[in-house]
Amino acid sequence: MAEIEFLHVGKVYGGDTLAVSDLNLKIGEGEFVVLVGPSGCGKTTALRMVAGLEEVTEGEIRIGDQIVNDLAPRDRDIAMVFQNYALYPHKTVYENLAFGLRMRKVPKEEQRRRVEEIAQKLGLSDMLRRRPGQLSGGQRQRVAMGRAIVREPKAFLMDEPLSNLDAKLRVQMRAEISRIQKALHVTTLYVTHDQVEAMTMGDRVAVMRDGVLQQVDTPQKLYDSPANLFVASFVGSPPMNLFEATVDQGGTQLVFGDTRLDLGFRSLPDYAGRRVIVGIRPEEVREASGWDGARVRGRVLLVEALGAEQIVHIQIAATPLERADLVDAAAQPPGPSLGVEELERSVTLLGRFDRHLLLTPGEAVEVAIDPRLLHFFDLETGIALPTAAVPAVAGVAG
Amino acid sequence: MSRKRLRNLGWDAIGILVLIVMVFPVYWMVTTAFKPGQKILSYTPQWFPTHPVLSNFRDAIHQQFFWDAVKNSLIVTSVVVVLSVVLAFLAALALAKFSFYGRKPFIVVILGVQMVPLAALIIPLYITMARLGEVDKLSGVIIMYLTFALPFAVWTLRGFLLGVPKELEESAMVDGATRFGAFVRILLPLLGPGLVATSLFAFILAWNEFIIAYVFLHTPEKQTLMVWLASFTTLRGTDWGPLMAGATLCALPVIVFFLLVQRRIAFGLTAGAVKG
Repeated sequence: MAEIEFLHVGKVYGGDTLAVSDLNLKIGEGEFVVLVGPSGCGKTTALRMVAGLEEVTEGEIRIGDQIVNDLAPRDRDIAMVFQNYALYPHKTVYENLAFGLRMRKVPKEEQRRRVEEIAQKLGLSDMLRRRPGQLSGGQRQRVAMGRAIVREPKAFLMDEPLSNLDAKLRVQMRAEISRIQKALHVTTLYVTHDQVEAMTMGDRVAVMRDGVLQQVDTPQKLYDSPANLFVASFVGSPPMNLFEATVDQGGTQLVFGDTRLDLGFRSLPDYAGRRVIVGIRPEEVREASGWDGARVRGRVLLVEALGAEQIVHIQIAATPLERADLVDAAAQPPGPSLGVEELERSVTLLGRFDRHLLLTPGEAVEVAIDPRLLHFFDLETGIALPTAAVPAVAGVAG
Repeated sequence: MSRKRLRNLGWDAIGILVLIVMVFPVYWMVTTAFKPGQKILSYTPQWFPTHPVLSNFRDAIHQQFFWDAVKNSLIVTSVVVVLSVVLAFLAALALAKFSFYGRKPFIVVILGVQMVPLAALIIPLYITMARLGEVDKLSGVIIMYLTFALPFAVWTLRGFLLGVPKELEESAMVDGATRFGAFVRILLPLLGPGLVATSLFAFILAWNEFIIAYVFLHTPEKQTLMVWLASFTTLRGTDWGPLMAGATLCALPVIVFFLLVQRRIAFGLTAGAVKG
C-alpha cells in the first residue's frame, strides 16, 4: 500500500503533441481516485506513466516515497487491469492468475494457495483449467481483476476495465470493484470516460480535459460546485442547462429573453452590465405551480419518460452559448429544430420532472427557477464565479 | 435447372479441371516410378501400373552420391529453417514492436528485394560469393537461401506479431517480466502458427531449390538432392524410371513435414486474449 503522487508531470509525444500538461495529483493511501474526461484528454496516458508503460517527459511520479520515473514496470510493484483485459490466451485461468506470482518467484505452494483463494472470492474456482477463449466477457473481466488482486501490489491501476461489458454487467461489476477495493484498502487509480462510473466509484474524482487537470474533489462537491464550465457540463446526466444572460441592476438581476430574475440574496457586482453564463441542473428546473418567485415561460418540446421520472425538454427565450469550446461537446443537447431566427434566441432547458406531471409536446409551460441554485460562469474563461456573494447590495435592488 | 445452379456447375467443372492439371504431373511421377523400363517408353500410355516394380527405387538409391546428396540436403535445409526462424523472429520483433529511424523504408526494401528475378541476381551473387570463397561449399548455399527466405519470413512474422495486442506484453511487464521475458513467455507461444508457416516456407525453399545449388555446387559429393536428380539426365538420354523414383523420394520429406506441422497452422490461437 502506498501513495501515488504526480508532481508537475508532463507528457509530450513526438516532440509536439501534448498529452498531459503540468499534472499535480496525490492519491492517498488506500484511496480510490477516478481520472475522468472525454477521450483524448490524457487520462490513460497519465495512468500508463504510473505503470511505467509510457515515459514521463517532465516532472516526477512517486509511488510511496520512491521516485519511479526511471523504474521498469516490473519494479514498481503495481498491478494493472487493461480495458481489453489482456489475458494470456495460451495460458489457463490458473496460469494467468499465477503468472505475476511466478515472475516474482513466490514458492509454488504459496502460489497455489493464493490463486485458489482469489478464485474462490471471485467465483472462478470451477474455471481454473479453462482458457480465456472459453470464458464469457464477465468471467474474463473477473480473471483480469483476480490477476491484479492476487499479487497484493502497492496500487491498482485500472484503465476503463468495464467499458467492454454490457450495461447490466457493468453496473454489477462497478459495485463489485468498489467493494473489493474497500475490502483490500489498496490505493487505486481508475480511468474512465464515463462520468457515472466516476461519480459512483471514486472517493475523489479528477476531471481532465486536453491534458489539463480541471478539478479534483469528492463526487458531491464536483457536482455541487464545479470549478468551471467544462466540469459543470461534463458531470451530471442529463447535463447542466447552460445559457447566456446579462447581469443588470448593479449585479442583482439577471436578464435573459423576456425574463427578469432577481438574484435574491446573491449578487454579481463585478459583472454588473456584463454578460455571464448561467447554469442550472435539470432537477432544479421545476414546474411553476405554487411558486411565488420568478417564472420563466417556455414551451414543451419533448417528454422522455424514464419510469420513475421524466425528462422534459422546454424551449425558453434566452441566448445559447457561443463558446462551445468551453463545454463538454457530448453534453450539449441538440438545439430545437426550428427556424434559424428562432434558434438564435432560444435555449432548450432540460427539466427532471415528477412522473405524475402530465405534459405534452407543444404545450406552454411555466418553470420556476430558484436563483439560489444557479451557477455562474465567466463568458470568456468559463471559470465559475464566486456564487455565495454577501448580500451587500441586495437591499438596494428591491 | 436454374441459372444459379448452372453457373455453380460451371465453376465446379473449372475447379475440377484445375485440380486435374495440378495433380496429374505428380500422379504421373509416382506411377512412372513403379513401372518397369519398357512400359515407361511405350507408345500406348499405361495409366496405371498393373505390375508395379520397385527396381527403379533400388536403382535410384544405388545411384552414385545419393546418400551424400541426402545428407547435404538435410544439413542445408535444417540450418536454413532454424536460422531463418530465429533471425526472422528477432527482426520481426524489431519491426513490429519498436519504432526506429528508417523502419518504413526497411519494410519496403524487404518487399522490394523479392521483386528482383533470381536469374538477374545469380551472376553477381556468384562473383560475390566467389570472392568470399564460399563457392562449392554448403555454407555458401545456406547463406544464399537465407537471403531469399528471410524477407518473406520477416514479413510474415511481422504480420503475426502485429496481430497480438500490445497490452499482452505490457501486462506481462507490469506483472514482473522483463521486456525480453515478455517476448519469450507471451509473444513466442502465440506466434506458433506464424513460426510454423515460416519454417514450412523455408523448408520448401531450401529443399526444393535447384538453380543456386546447381550453379554454386560443383563437386558431386557436395551436391544437394535436386542437383543429384539432374544427374539422371546425361548426354546419352534420360533414365526416366530411376529419375521418377528419385523425384518421388525427394518429395516425401516435404509432404511428411507438411503433414506434421499443418495442424499447427490453425489461426485463432489468440482468441480470448482480449474482447473481440
